[in-house]
Amino acid sequence: MAKYDYVLAKSLDHAVELLNESGIRSIPLAGGTDIYVAIRVNPVWFDRLVDIRRIPELNKVSLDKDQVKFGAAVTFSHAIKNPILLKVAPFLVEACKTIGGPAVRNCGTFGGNVSNAAACADSLPSLVCLEAVAHLCSPKGQRQVKVENLVKGPHETQIETGELLTHFTFQVPPKNAKSCFIKIGRRKAQSISRLSIAVIGAVNPAGMVDYIRVCPGAAVATPVRFPQVEAVLLGKKPNKESITAASEQLVADMIQSTGRRWSTEYKEITLKAIAERSLTKIFLEDGHHVN
Amino acid sequence: MTNLKFVGHPAQRVDALDKVMGKTKYVGDMSLPGMLYARTLRSELPHARIVKLDTSPALKVPGVVAVVTSADFVNHSNFGFPISDMYMLAYEKVRYVGEGIASVAAETPEAALEGVNAIICEMEPLPAVFDMAHALDPDAPQIGPDRSDGKHPNYIGHYPVYKGNPQEKLPQCDVVVDQNYETVMQEHAYLETEGGLAIPTPEGGVVVYLSCQSPFIPRNDLCKVLGLPADRVRVIVPPVGGSFGGKDDLNYQTAGQVAALALKAKRPVRMTFSREESIIASYKRGSMRMNIKLGADQDGTLRACEFRSLYDSGAYSSQSPFTSWRASIHAMGAYRYEDCTVDIDTVYTNTGYAGAYRGFGNTEVCSGIEQAIDEMADALKMDPLEFRLKNCLKVGDVTPHGQLLSESVGLSDCLLAVRKMSDWDRKRKEFANQSPSSEKRRGVGVSALFHGTSLGAEGLDEATATIEIHADNQVTLTSGLTDYGTGARTVYTLIAAEILGIQPERIKVHNPDTNTAKDSGPTVASRTTILAGNSVRVAAQNLLQNLDWAAADLLKCDVYQVHRVSEDYIGPSKEPVSWDIVVKHAREMGLVLSAFGRWSAPQIHWDEEKGTGTPYFAYHFGAQVAEVEVDLKTGHTDVINIWAVHDIGKVIFPQGAYGQLYGGISHGLGYGLYEDLDYQNGYAQSINFDTYLIPTAMDMPEIQGGFVEASFSAGPFGAKNIAEPAMVPTAPAILNAIANATGRRIRKLPANLERVMLGKELTKKGSPFSCKVALKIT
Amino acid sequence: MLINFILNHNPVSVDAPADITLLALLRDHFKLTGTKEACEVGECGACSVLLDGELANSCLVAAPSVMGRDVVTIEGIHAEDGGPNDLQRNFIEKGAVQCGFCIPGMVIAGEALLAIKSEPSRLEIREALAGNLCRCTGYMQIVDAIETTAKGRAEKPHPEKREN
Repeated sequence: MAKYDYVLAKSLDHAVELLNESGIRSIPLAGGTDIYVAIRVNPVWFDRLVDIRRIPELNKVSLDKDQVKFGAAVTFSHAIKNPILLKVAPFLVEACKTIGGPAVRNCGTFGGNVSNAAACADSLPSLVCLEAVAHLCSPKGQRQVKVENLVKGPHETQIETGELLTHFTFQVPPKNAKSCFIKIGRRKAQSISRLSIAVIGAVNPAGMVDYIRVCPGAAVATPVRFPQVEAVLLGKKPNKESITAASEQLVADMIQSTGRRWSTEYKEITLKAIAERSLTKIFLEDGHHVN
Repeated sequence: MTNLKFVGHPAQRVDALDKVMGKTKYVGDMSLPGMLYARTLRSELPHARIVKLDTSPALKVPGVVAVVTSADFVNHSNFGFPISDMYMLAYEKVRYVGEGIASVAAETPEAALEGVNAIICEMEPLPAVFDMAHALDPDAPQIGPDRSDGKHPNYIGHYPVYKGNPQEKLPQCDVVVDQNYETVMQEHAYLETEGGLAIPTPEGGVVVYLSCQSPFIPRNDLCKVLGLPADRVRVIVPPVGGSFGGKDDLNYQTAGQVAALALKAKRPVRMTFSREESIIASYKRGSMRMNIKLGADQDGTLRACEFRSLYDSGAYSSQSPFTSWRASIHAMGAYRYEDCTVDIDTVYTNTGYAGAYRGFGNTEVCSGIEQAIDEMADALKMDPLEFRLKNCLKVGDVTPHGQLLSESVGLSDCLLAVRKMSDWDRKRKEFANQSPSSEKRRGVGVSALFHGTSLGAEGLDEATATIEIHADNQVTLTSGLTDYGTGARTVYTLIAAEILGIQPERIKVHNPDTNTAKDSGPTVASRTTILAGNSVRVAAQNLLQNLDWAAADLLKCDVYQVHRVSEDYIGPSKEPVSWDIVVKHAREMGLVLSAFGRWSAPQIHWDEEKGTGTPYFAYHFGAQVAEVEVDLKTGHTDVINIWAVHDIGKVIFPQGAYGQLYGGISHGLGYGLYEDLDYQNGYAQSINFDTYLIPTAMDMPEIQGGFVEASFSAGPFGAKNIAEPAMVPTAPAILNAIANATGRRIRKLPANLERVMLGKELTKKGSPFSCKVALKIT
Repeated sequence: MLINFILNHNPVSVDAPADITLLALLRDHFKLTGTKEACEVGECGACSVLLDGELANSCLVAAPSVMGRDVVTIEGIHAEDGGPNDLQRNFIEKGAVQCGFCIPGMVIAGEALLAIKSEPSRLEIREALAGNLCRCTGYMQIVDAIETTAKGRAEKPHPEKREN
């Protein structure tokens, strides 16, 4: 007796229909890289896997005017090779390169990474910085939630039963923006983030910061931007002092959010260092140019 | 020995072809008609009394065919060597999380698991001790067996080396280093998990295919616990997917469980472990706490060493008495001392259990003593490599154990070689002048080692091989020692080919099988090349004698006039005759075309009370240099380079020797930087490869290796050994490099992110959750 | 449920439960035991296969999801005569094999890399192997074998293919 069933969704509508068939607890299956790990240490909580990987629109990356749209079933390997993402969101691509090993990147998807919502999920900080919006589809219709708000806590999201995360959109960042992603792991490859950070920023012709987004990973319960940190830099000429001040603000905000935990003594030093390094990279060195 | 044709030349591993094609059958790949799948109920508590064990509900589960407990064995399934403190399945008590209690055989793995979960096992939790420092407290709960000598039952043994009186000598030394060092548990992480397949025989016996190192041990254990004579129990070792010391005791229990189930069900029974079950149930490298006092004079002469240590064997003694003894012999490092004492005490706790793992005690003590040696060099303001060269053992020295080293001591050459290869002198100077403000700092560190070859005074040290030429002229070899990935079969093949003068392709080495091979002791202690290699050499020489007689008869000359070129036999006048013709003629002459070769190691002796003697008949020596870049702000250590030169005697199979060297270094790198099988209140906190991290291809640097071939006269063609010692000096070399880079010393392994950055460890609250779930589900 | 797909260059059809992984399908239903089971959480790569030509951990792939797709296991990698291909020969020559348990996955990962990169650097080879754990070799000789194969294939006008 099989513990659960499997069905291949032929289209978006078909997938939504399958996910909402009454009496059958169905969950979407994309890369499988999280589900098969989860059911190794948890009792099976669903009756059926609805395979969404072959729905064409869920596998596309497109650029329409100033908006990037990419499907929830786009894999990390796909992203790493995608010219649009490489051009407009290089730090997202950098983050994808640090996920798992090649085989996991070939299967793992953005939709899975976001809906699994691990505190250390590596695509999340960059998506939050890009103010990416998740598009959810259900029989009730469509709704849009910012990724930053979608994730409610570790392994907890606003996605409701029967709702399918179909794609993400984000506005192309300012043309002169530079971005950076840094990850600290215990090992050089295939490592869970001990701590990470994504930053993207730009300066106006007068040399003042007019665009800045900062989101650390594995620092607080969910990946969020830190407005107070951004405020330290905004409207000022970036220099060593302002970068240090912003980094110290980030550490203070992290501790305010989490309280002092067993790992704080380590994270307060490391977070400050990677914040300084990433901000230095985008404002004082070359960074990853957008466009 | 300049004319060797096969020994020392590039060769192909004899079992590599099947492995690259995916054709090799490990135990988990074998299946038989009617075969049942087995699963074992394992303890979820670290220390408890079994109040009630009712297996009848399991038998009601559809598909379940048989269940066994300790009651199904002779003497409650008690076994173990040198201390018989283990059971094939728990008897009355459990002493660690993961200990087997009852085993179920069923038509499917799912039904077996369901059967296991149906067993009613009521446990009364007992107080437990997890900290080795409290194992011998008067009120500590009893873990070890009862003892009559008045000693604490949690006490396993005391392992001393005594030369002079360092306590008196140390105050007279110009400089004294006094430091504590600590190591943690390490998981073997063989890629193939444990497993066994038992097949009942028509005579009421059992054949067990077992992924293990030493088939005669489980054969003998099975005879005892099943009450069967030796001819009714046969253990065969199929290809083994890695072991590194790890597939002994636990998999002997697997053998007992599947054998008892197969006898009861009268059907073949196979058990394979999930990774989680493997990590939870299996033994590890034990943890050790050391205090080391070294004394030296200002001129750089090392004079005294006082080494004290506590070693945690966990719930069972397993190999710890031997591990502790080997640790004691190597605790002071490969140096000369006027006075030197070592005292190691080994105890039981309820923290998993410790057994054999590559390096076997030396890995642990080397990480302490080689840091202490560096700290002494620092205190003396001497270059640490120069300090080692000045004090290291050389031919003619007497070791602190009282042993005169009369040959094959290549340590100085190893140190000089790594000094040159690594550009040591320039790098030490350059790294001393790094900008104090730089966040990423480079460092180089060195470590030296010696490693006693084979069992030493642990036990009787001999091996036997057989060789036979069959009707089709294929030559087969048997050995009682196993190739569990090491390349030993290829070593045997090259030695036999060299002696017989035939192509290695003609020779096939059988799987170790207790019915066809001769008990040659355990396949441990990096003893296979010397012991089994020598026995193969002797067997081949014995066979060669008969072939020489046949050749002399064919060539119409005296046997001493026969010589061989390639596969041809040549006499004084006649045309050469081929090996095949000589074999045919030998057969016609009625000469025996099989032979037996036994080789015994030179006699040695150790006085356990006085802590003196000749612990090993020969030693491996080696030195490694590691270069690191440390990120002071994240604690990340990048090992950029490793140079490793080891004196292994004559190299027989070069690709195999380098493979052992590189692989050993990867175990050492993991041990140094992140491997820590942490137990919290008896529960393993990492139970799969997502949280127990071993080095990936990205983590390993390009290694530059080399060998000093300080020939050992009693070794086959002068060979010594390589397997274990390759890993021993790696972790301390890395730790010394980190100290060189940062100016800070990490005296507790591993040098993980937090320790490197903060100089101390951060403790995370542990949880029993994943162990408990995994034992029920995966 | 009935699953039709291409396995080692041949169309196959198998009736299997819906709740198993591709790894279980290969080992239990096709008796292709060259694909190894060692962690089942996608960390070790012993179960590596080529899925539509890309490296995948078969322990994380739903068996029914391979419907209509192309799966190559170690049993499908060989020279035209059924013997070892150039990569497999180089694994043997370079001493890249010890216990052998990771080796089918390593060969698959090597082929996956060489299919997209003709002359990878040693670092690129290491990156491509990062999801395949080996506890025996320290990876040196495995990297050697893949590097040598890449050079050999680059020199040949018609590189040896893995098709049977």
